[in-house]
Amino acid sequence: MTHQGLGEFEQMVLLAIAHLRGEAYGIPIVEEIDRRTGRSVARAAVYVTLRRLEEKGFVSSWMSDPTPERGGKPRRYVKLTSDGARALREARQVAERMWNGLDPASLRAR
Amino acid sequence: MSAPSRPPRLPRILLRHALPEDTRDVVDGDLHELYMTRRATSGAAAAATWYWLQTLSFTMRFTLDRVARVIRSLAGGDATPSGLDLKLGARMLAKSPGLTLVGGFGMAIGVALAAGAYAFFNSYFYPELPLHEGDRIVALGKFDPKRQREDEQLLHDFRVWQRELRSVVDLGAFLTIQRNLVSETGQGEPIKIAEMTASGFRLTRVPPLLGRTLIDADERSGAPRVVVIGYDVWQSQFAGDQAIVGREIRIGRDAHTIVGVMPRGFRFPINHQYWIPLRFDPRVPVAPGTGPNLDVFGRLARGVTREAAQAELSAIGRHLAAEGPKELAHLEPRVVPYVDIFVNAEAENESTVYALMRFLIAFLLVVVAMNVAVLVYARTVTRTGEIAVRTALGATRGRIVSQLFAEAFVLSGISAAVGLGIVAIGLRMFDDYIASSGGGPFWIDAGISLGTILYTVMLAVLGAVIVGVFPALRATGAQLREAIGSMGSGTKARLGPTWTALIIAQVAIAVAILPPALLKGGQMVQLALQKPGFATGEYLSTQFLVDRDVEASTDSIAARAAMDSSRAIVKKLVERIAIEPGVVGVTVTSSDPWGGGHDRVEVDRADGPSERVGYSTVDTSYFRLFGVRVLAGRGFGAADAALPGNQRPVIVNRSFVTELIGGGDPIGRRIRYLSDGDEVNPWHTIVGVVEDFPAGIVNPAERSVRGMYHLAMPGEWDRAKLTIRLRGQTPEAFAPTLRRTAMSIDPMLQLNGTTSLYATYRENTRAAAQLALVIALISGSVLLLSAAGIHALMSFTVNQRRREIGIRSALGGSTRRILTSVLARATRQLTLGVGIGLTMAVVLDLAAGGELMNGTGLLLVPGTAAFMLVVGLIAAAGPARRGLRVQPTEALRAE
Repeated sequence: MTHQGLGEFEQMVLLAIAHLRGEAYGIPIVEEIDRRTGRSVARAAVYVTLRRLEEKGFVSSWMSDPTPERGGKPRRYVKLTSDGARALREARQVAERMWNGLDPASLRAR
Repeated sequence: MSAPSRPPRLPRILLRHALPEDTRDVVDGDLHELYMTRRATSGAAAAATWYWLQTLSFTMRFTLDRVARVIRSLAGGDATPSGLDLKLGARMLAKSPGLTLVGGFGMAIGVALAAGAYAFFNSYFYPELPLHEGDRIVALGKFDPKRQREDEQLLHDFRVWQRELRSVVDLGAFLTIQRNLVSETGQGEPIKIAEMTASGFRLTRVPPLLGRTLIDADERSGAPRVVVIGYDVWQSQFAGDQAIVGREIRIGRDAHTIVGVMPRGFRFPINHQYWIPLRFDPRVPVAPGTGPNLDVFGRLARGVTREAAQAELSAIGRHLAAEGPKELAHLEPRVVPYVDIFVNAEAENESTVYALMRFLIAFLLVVVAMNVAVLVYARTVTRTGEIAVRTALGATRGRIVSQLFAEAFVLSGISAAVGLGIVAIGLRMFDDYIASSGGGPFWIDAGISLGTILYTVMLAVLGAVIVGVFPALRATGAQLREAIGSMGSGTKARLGPTWTALIIAQVAIAVAILPPALLKGGQMVQLALQKPGFATGEYLSTQFLVDRDVEASTDSIAARAAMDSSRAIVKKLVERIAIEPGVVGVTVTSSDPWGGGHDRVEVDRADGPSERVGYSTVDTSYFRLFGVRVLAGRGFGAADAALPGNQRPVIVNRSFVTELIGGGDPIGRRIRYLSDGDEVNPWHTIVGVVEDFPAGIVNPAERSVRGMYHLAMPGEWDRAKLTIRLRGQTPEAFAPTLRRTAMSIDPMLQLNGTTSLYATYRENTRAAAQLALVIALISGSVLLLSAAGIHALMSFTVNQRRREIGIRSALGGSTRRILTSVLARATRQLTLGVGIGLTMAVVLDLAAGGELMNGTGLLLVPGTAAFMLVVGLIAAAGPARRGLRVQPTEALRAE
């Protein structure tokens, strides 16, 4: 399998899933990202990303029972797979390696 | 009333179609949950709006995602179409000749229209000037924003610009005049001449082939008269004579010395082949806004942008406006790319129209391609089994899609090639037409450019994507999973709702669009087939014009004197021709017998509203010359001609009397033109009624031949139509006599289009015939594609039910009931399409001001609708019959 890196948005979605533990499905994931980043994300973008993450094997999903308040439709809950967790850790390590030893003064605008 | 407790229905349906199957229910459920919360907090309307926005956002994101996936899969290793795929594609086309022919024909027409429009618009409105650094050549003008056009009386400004303007060099001007080129035998042939400043040649940076170009010294008054000629006329008129420089020719009244020959293809400033110096005596003052119409050109000075030149010109303009007359102060001096001054592409309304036309034509191609896609899909679906097997054997989706793309590309590629061929022929025809009416500008290259070829290749790819990839994506999507699941069980794929909707739309479009096209096409055919109803071969006609010198047009007294002399010249010509042997008579008119204008008139003491009638102006000999009988009253006489123009009587034709006066006695009644302003037009008394003439020609758009005639005598025109009736000799044989006579009276008397009325009429109808052909091709392809689409849908649906039909008939079901149940669905879809189409037709008709639902149009709309129904039912009947013939045992075995 080829190496599949994580995009920034994919990382955000995966992290939101991780934060929500077993309660992650579309609606709370969007809310979690909104709440933590302080900006509003396009709901549809989250669903497209979720689908892609599942195809990459970074999340797995299962369906709840249908409920009347959802028009008789089920919820799709998602959780991180071990591949997904590893990809997140790797992404963090890469970022930290880049940050390590950086003098804050060098970020000041000239 | 309580609001419904579900999200709005329409966006939900949209969403279900836009989302992939594995995500549909989940998104539907999540949005439902959020919608209910919002509805409780913000109200139903806000929640519905929010739901719509979410639908649009989801639709867009998932469609983009889908496209990205296809691109990714095509970019993957095994997905690139191979030569083998193309070969296979060609074989598949050969296997279904019907589809190939119908689809190929439709696409070829679609491509021809789109590529033709591209070639036309690009060469006409966005051309490149084929001169050295042509993009730095500019035109200078003064735009009149009130009238949305150029003001061309620029002589005063031109002189100031010549003195003051620094950012534009090689500043020059030209105007086009027409003069007779007098041959050694004394015959005159009108030629177009550019009176141009010598700077025009410097501007183009094209050296002469022989001799020299014009030089500044040629512009001085009193300098010897010289002319530079173009390559084409050097070849055609002077047999490519190498010793031509120094030879004298007569242009109009004056002898000119040829000083140079320009190389092949040089036709600056527009499409000129003769150049003489533009001369204005600098000592004669010219008031702003007076003088002849001039076009001013120049080249942007080195390093100067057009904006900078514009700024300088505007500054000079403000200065001039402050000094000049107030009524010219609103004119805006401007520097534009050279070509723009002629095509006026910057006028707002025109550029919008061009953009709209381009869009419509491109849209037409998409519609055609969608039609073909329906056909291809109907076939692709029957191959779902094959696709399923290949998928099971390990072919990726990208691989299968790319193969279907390759197959479609074979079809669209061949169609595009044919379409390009049609474009080439069409452009050639158009070019011939332009050439026959004086030639187009030098920057227009009517050939097929590399750009047009690339555009056509792009169209072919677009066509293949619509025709191949969309059906392939559908066929390899959810349906494929079903097909794999049911491999061998006999269940077949379905033609989904999207395609059914497409076919309904197609029927609707055909019903709405075809009738106007047929109506217009029919009118053109009618025009092309009409016979004038009199012996046109006995008449020679010519458009005469007595030209005046430029100098005269700057001076009003001189202009009036020139006008008087022009008229005397025409009078003399008529008198001289009338006494030539073989001439029966001569008449001077405003137009050909079938020409003339149309306007609204009202009749004194008549109850009816004002009506449009045809009108033309004739002299006293007109009716006699054409053998038109006077039915009541009298013809025009010398006494009428003695009255001032606005008091002269008129003569009307029979249709005028029947349709506007109701058959009563028309003699003595009065008519006048409706005025659009405050001015009231004078009344004209009817003194005679003639039969309808020419009896055989009815303009289908006017639908009536009612007409009226005004009187003007030959000596009252300086440009009009001269028609001569001959006996004992042909018009062609008499033409040289006419030309010689004209030349002997005055070399400034020009005759254009000297030919028999027969030839003039043929030329008139040729355009109509060609237009009819184009309309027939377009509407024919729409009709064919719609019929084929309906056929595909019907045979496909019924084929799916063949076994069911077989079993039902084996179990003793009555044939009629089985057929009824099978055809019911087909009929419902057809009827829906026809219904929508009729509604669209009515809307179109209202928009077009009732043209369509009038006369024949009234029959065409239901006729087209009935035709579509019949095609659909015939298409369904074939497979249904085959179903009835299936042996019951066979049907049961298959289950």
